[in-house]
Amino acid sequence: MTNDAVVPVALSTYQDDSAFEFAKVTAAEKLRPHLQLKNADDRDELVTAINKYYSIDELVEFLKQKKTTEDGKTELKFKKVTLQFPDSLIVDSATIVHELQGKLGITLDGGLNNESVKSADNCKCNCRCSDSTCDREETANQKLWILADTSYSPCCVDEVAAEHVGSELVVHFGDACLNPVDKLSAVYVFGKPYIDINSLVAKFRERYPVEEFAKSKILLMADSPHTYILKTLTEALSEDYEYIAYADLKLDKESSARIIGYQPTAQSSKLDTLNRTLVNLKDIDEEDIDLDSILAEQDLFHISTPETPRLLQLTTKFQSVTVFDPETGDINQGPFPNLMRRYRYMHMARAAGTVGLLVNTLSLANTKKLINSIGRKIKEAGKKHYIFVVGKPNVAKLANFENVEMWCILGCDHQGIIVDQNNEYYRPIVTPYELLLALSDELTWTGKWVTDFNSVLEDLDDGNDKDHEDKRDESNDQDGEDYEDAPPEFDPVTGRLLSTSRPLRQLNHLQITSQAEEDPSESNALIKKFSSTIAIKNTVSTSAVHLQNRHWTGLGSDYNNEGEGENSQEGAKLEEGRGGIARGYDYDREVHI
Amino acid sequence: MVAFTIEQIRELMDKVTNVRNMSVIAHVDHGKSTLTDSLVQRAGIISAAKAGEARFTDTRKDEQERGITIKSTAISLYASMTDDDVKEIKQKTEGNSFLINLIDSPGHVDFSSEVTAALRVTDGALVVVDCVEGVCVQTETVLRQALGERIKPVVIINKVDRALLELQVTKEDLYQSFARTVESVNVIIATYVDEALGDSQVYPDKGTVAFGSGLHGWAFTVRQFATRYSKKFGVDRLKMMERLWGDSYFNPKTKRWTTKDKDADGKTLERAFNMFVLDPIFRLFAAIMNFKKDEIPALLEKLEIVLKGEEKELEGKALLKVVMRKFLPAADALLEMIVIHLPSPVTAQFYRAETLYEGPSDDASCNAIRNCDPKADLMLYVSKMVPTSDKGRFYAFGRVFAGTVKSGQKVRIQGPNYQVGKKEDLFVKAIQRTVLMMGRFVEAIDDCPAGNIVGLVGIDQFLLKSGTITTNEASHNMKVMKFSVSPVVQVAVEVKNANDLPKLVEGLKRLSKSDPCVLCTMNESGEHIVAGTGELHLEICLSDLENDHAGVPLRISPPVVSYRETVESESSMVALSKSPNKHNRIYVKAQPIDEEVSLDIESGVINPRDDFKARARILADKHGWDVGDARKIWCFGPDGNGPNLVVDQTKAVQYLNEIKDSVVAAFQWATKEGPVVGENVRSVRVNILDVTLHADAIHRGGGQIIPTMRRVTYASMLLAQPAIQEPIFLVEIQCPENAIGGIYSVLNKKRGQVISEEQRPGTPLFTVKAYLPVNESFGFTGELRQATGGQAFPQLIFDHWSILPGDVTDPASKPGLVVKEKRVRQGLKPEVPGYEEYYDKL
Repeated sequence: MTNDAVVPVALSTYQDDSAFEFAKVTAAEKLRPHLQLKNADDRDELVTAINKYYSIDELVEFLKQKKTTEDGKTELKFKKVTLQFPDSLIVDSATIVHELQGKLGITLDGGLNNESVKSADNCKCNCRCSDSTCDREETANQKLWILADTSYSPCCVDEVAAEHVGSELVVHFGDACLNPVDKLSAVYVFGKPYIDINSLVAKFRERYPVEEFAKSKILLMADSPHTYILKTLTEALSEDYEYIAYADLKLDKESSARIIGYQPTAQSSKLDTLNRTLVNLKDIDEEDIDLDSILAEQDLFHISTPETPRLLQLTTKFQSVTVFDPETGDINQGPFPNLMRRYRYMHMARAAGTVGLLVNTLSLANTKKLINSIGRKIKEAGKKHYIFVVGKPNVAKLANFENVEMWCILGCDHQGIIVDQNNEYYRPIVTPYELLLALSDELTWTGKWVTDFNSVLEDLDDGNDKDHEDKRDESNDQDGEDYEDAPPEFDPVTGRLLSTSRPLRQLNHLQITSQAEEDPSESNALIKKFSSTIAIKNTVSTSAVHLQNRHWTGLGSDYNNEGEGENSQEGAKLEEGRGGIARGYDYDREVHI
Repeated sequence: MVAFTIEQIRELMDKVTNVRNMSVIAHVDHGKSTLTDSLVQRAGIISAAKAGEARFTDTRKDEQERGITIKSTAISLYASMTDDDVKEIKQKTEGNSFLINLIDSPGHVDFSSEVTAALRVTDGALVVVDCVEGVCVQTETVLRQALGERIKPVVIINKVDRALLELQVTKEDLYQSFARTVESVNVIIATYVDEALGDSQVYPDKGTVAFGSGLHGWAFTVRQFATRYSKKFGVDRLKMMERLWGDSYFNPKTKRWTTKDKDADGKTLERAFNMFVLDPIFRLFAAIMNFKKDEIPALLEKLEIVLKGEEKELEGKALLKVVMRKFLPAADALLEMIVIHLPSPVTAQFYRAETLYEGPSDDASCNAIRNCDPKADLMLYVSKMVPTSDKGRFYAFGRVFAGTVKSGQKVRIQGPNYQVGKKEDLFVKAIQRTVLMMGRFVEAIDDCPAGNIVGLVGIDQFLLKSGTITTNEASHNMKVMKFSVSPVVQVAVEVKNANDLPKLVEGLKRLSKSDPCVLCTMNESGEHIVAGTGELHLEICLSDLENDHAGVPLRISPPVVSYRETVESESSMVALSKSPNKHNRIYVKAQPIDEEVSLDIESGVINPRDDFKARARILADKHGWDVGDARKIWCFGPDGNGPNLVVDQTKAVQYLNEIKDSVVAAFQWATKEGPVVGENVRSVRVNILDVTLHADAIHRGGGQIIPTMRRVTYASMLLAQPAIQEPIFLVEIQCPENAIGGIYSVLNKKRGQVISEEQRPGTPLFTVKAYLPVNESFGFTGELRQATGGQAFPQLIFDHWSILPGDVTDPASKPGLVVKEKRVRQGLKPEVPGYEEYYDKL
């Protein structure tokens, strides 16, 4: 220490007014492009547009349904209704609720405050229905909630949020994946975006000149809001294009879901695929339908740009894919996400020792079953797995689990799967199907991209019986006293041999006897460092292995290293630390502003 | 000489002082395999008649067809020496029998890695130099490698028959040519020799240089002639040896030796070497080739050569061959050189131990290596994998440096990433069998003691290319081999039939095993990439892959080059990135690393595993780094050992050590896939200037730091004039003068840059050296042949990385074009992202 006058260290953070200023949004966004309003400030026009766009009247009719209870009384079929909005449509939510209230005859009474407090209590635990507005109809006791900020994929019905208020019906606004829902009744309101058919037809002819494509098999598809125009479009084009067909929406027959504002015309159940039904297909042998080969012959013309996972799936199924963006009127023929990248990830999954099962949906049917089956399969392959639920996944959240070498995401195939196009994620992310390919002993690559849980489960079951027998034989072999290590595996991604790809099979890790206790007198540490065991409850913990390989092993672990330096005898010099708050330390002010 | 039995060999293995492990190294086509034949023939394995043509060590079909060696091949030979010879050996020996483990290596530059693998397991090298072509680029490369491994060289100047028959040189010209060649070899030795190896220069008058013709099967050393004449003149042999080389003359009139080339009368004297050594050879050649039948018998008698029945009928070249082979058998000269002058394992391991072993030089394993102790714990280095007749399985080929390896013995197999105390890359396994490698054949042996070369069965699955095998838990690895070549040419392979994919992947695994240098990886867009050192290497690898390892039809893309990303200046401003939660910030600047430092890192002189103080000293003393900076290197990257560094220049940052792991992980990631084209980064140093961290541990976890460090690394690189480096070949072309014009025009067209052009003294041949971008080298050989009427054959060897001048962000420039193409192929946006994409404002 120097002999200079000791200045007391500032213990409180320096603050002035600027510390409390927040960044402001400067960009002015155009609201509601989907409604194509002429004058954004005109309230009446807005209401009319919304009524039309969302078919509010039809929805009201549906909500007004009554049912007869056991004791003969009639009452409202849906007393508690939740309205689910994706982020892009949340601007319309208040107006819609207002309209619904008016038309359903719901009036706000004085009990609003109590009720809202109650509902807030209900969903306190894990509240995603943050904007919940609660309304009360005096007579029928019908209540509406708004569900916003959907946890996983906004295209799916958010059952969990709906269950927080005990809702009987979810009205899902906007684009939807139409994947079957486990329990709840659902109503889909896609909205009816305006499209200029003539310009669309012109664009189509530009992409597929009649001379060349008159005999080609072309399939029209759209996201769910745009699907209503497909029929008209097909009719307009069928004169020139003989083999034109379109994909209509399809709801699972067993599901209790309904669509408001559009009635699918399709009925054939043999031509169901991708949550769509193919209509107008010609030259089909009705007896023997092989959908995959039918699709492989088709050129796809898709209206609106699908989310990446869906787009990837479409590109694997069809001969070619053309995407038409209705907002800009542009046609896009690629580049689309590349399936060969998935092939690489599949190989990386083979090499990974620790797999994180990331649950990115709660509402999809069969999720639990799939988690269990995959978990078992991973274990059989000698890999370690952990199950994660992180809310909306992002780069930072997943990178927090540094020891996970491979993520397997269980989510909706429309938006719930992360397809890492820009290599942002620290570790690659695969789908259950890809993981299954990777877990099998034989290397296979089908060139398909299966995201449907049911087909994955079927694949799983096929392989299971056989595997079990094999496994038993193997485990007998390993019991012998004369233990030898299993050979490492070749990783074609890095071109190296890997010994870490099956941590559970390395028996010598399991046979760890607790390390002899070190002489306590030698160490003067306050807390003993956690022991170097890597087996917890008789299973290998790859996380423990990872932690032990870290350079930083806790406070004080760097003390010795630094102490070896020049002034090991003296204490560190007292220096003034950093002041301010994390968003803007004093230091930044001096240096950067 | 009698053929030998395996038992004899096994017996000799125990007398380690009588073992010589040596490799034959040279430039391509200088006659290694042919010379090796004469040794093999002496051992009775092939008939004398075939020697010089059979190329016993070229075991593969394509080797025989193409007439070049592709894989190095080992063979064990038995030799017994006369008492006289044994007396002259300056190291400890026992008896007259010797075991020579010889490895014939390929000469083509593309297969240099095979040479490296051969050198590692041998102690001496027979350097073959073509008498006409002299010291060539590959001669220098392999010699440099040998000396780096502390391997003692002896030289044979080969193809002397060509000089005599084709060039018709005079005796003095030939002497001068020999002298020049010896001198240029010595220049290389002097440049690269390791002090521990002692004087390794070669001297004809000491018997470390031989002259001969592998094709005709004859060779001689000055010592042999000295032996003949010492009896005749009654002079001491050593004295005679000195007189038979250099400026030493014999005056026949006065019968006196002198060092002046004129006698007292001013008459020119003939050089002793010419008079006593070359003269008999010249006369024999003249007599036989000019069909002077009458002179021949007299000459033969004088030289004590007896011809047998049929041989007397021969004429011309055939007769010459027989006569010369009887007069000066090549095997005699070579064996004498090898046995007398090359070190035994005991001698060699004494000074090689510390360069072979990664661990401390005073631990048990290193001492055992130093003493070549057969009773110590096993230390064995597997230098390469040799395919067996059983498809997909390999012999692990290596050398026992300490202990004794036995069949059935349980050993620890340590891969290249093994570190003492860790479990990674470590396997326990029993050795199934130990075998002796004999060219095309193998012979089973029960065990093999220290100092010998051996093949192991049953451990090939545990090692990819090389590794250490030991029985001691405390043993470190043997040092990993560093290759002089780099796999810079790559192709993408795919199967024609999708069902064959598993076979392709298995084939790639086998290919990686079978070649020390080939790299089989996968690129960003999921294509299987095979990378080799040059076009020939790739061609061989791919045909092996298609016909042998995978056995399925393949589609192969045209060759492409792998690039490296780098920066040209310091970041123009401090790069800052904020963590996703905005609470942590990293401030860094990138700057280029000097090429010398990068090379030192790549060659292992500066090593991440070294003690940080020792490393800092090298950086400070040799490269002028600030010692403080040099001590605060956080990590190397990519893969933890690449030529990119993170240097901590922060002052008093709290919790800094806590994020080190995350920073290191992020840097590995960022340098593996750079910001410009997603290629490896090279020669970039990232200085962490400051870090602000959230006071709460959960808000500064890996999830916040890893993406941020990656972003800030990218931002700093993009602010520091990003550039791409392309690999450059050194081209050496030997050709007659009239072909030079053609060479220049082809080089010009291919962005080549001539660095030297000189005539090889005494010959009409010119040597042109030039730098040629690897990217332009595809088809170069063919074009050159066309432009020069087939007179010029280039040798291309990877030399260095060079920045493609121009702005990478401008698609009109050369590097911009390369970048755009590469990005599009990988499915990225065609434009290089601006730094703003990774830079956060405060």
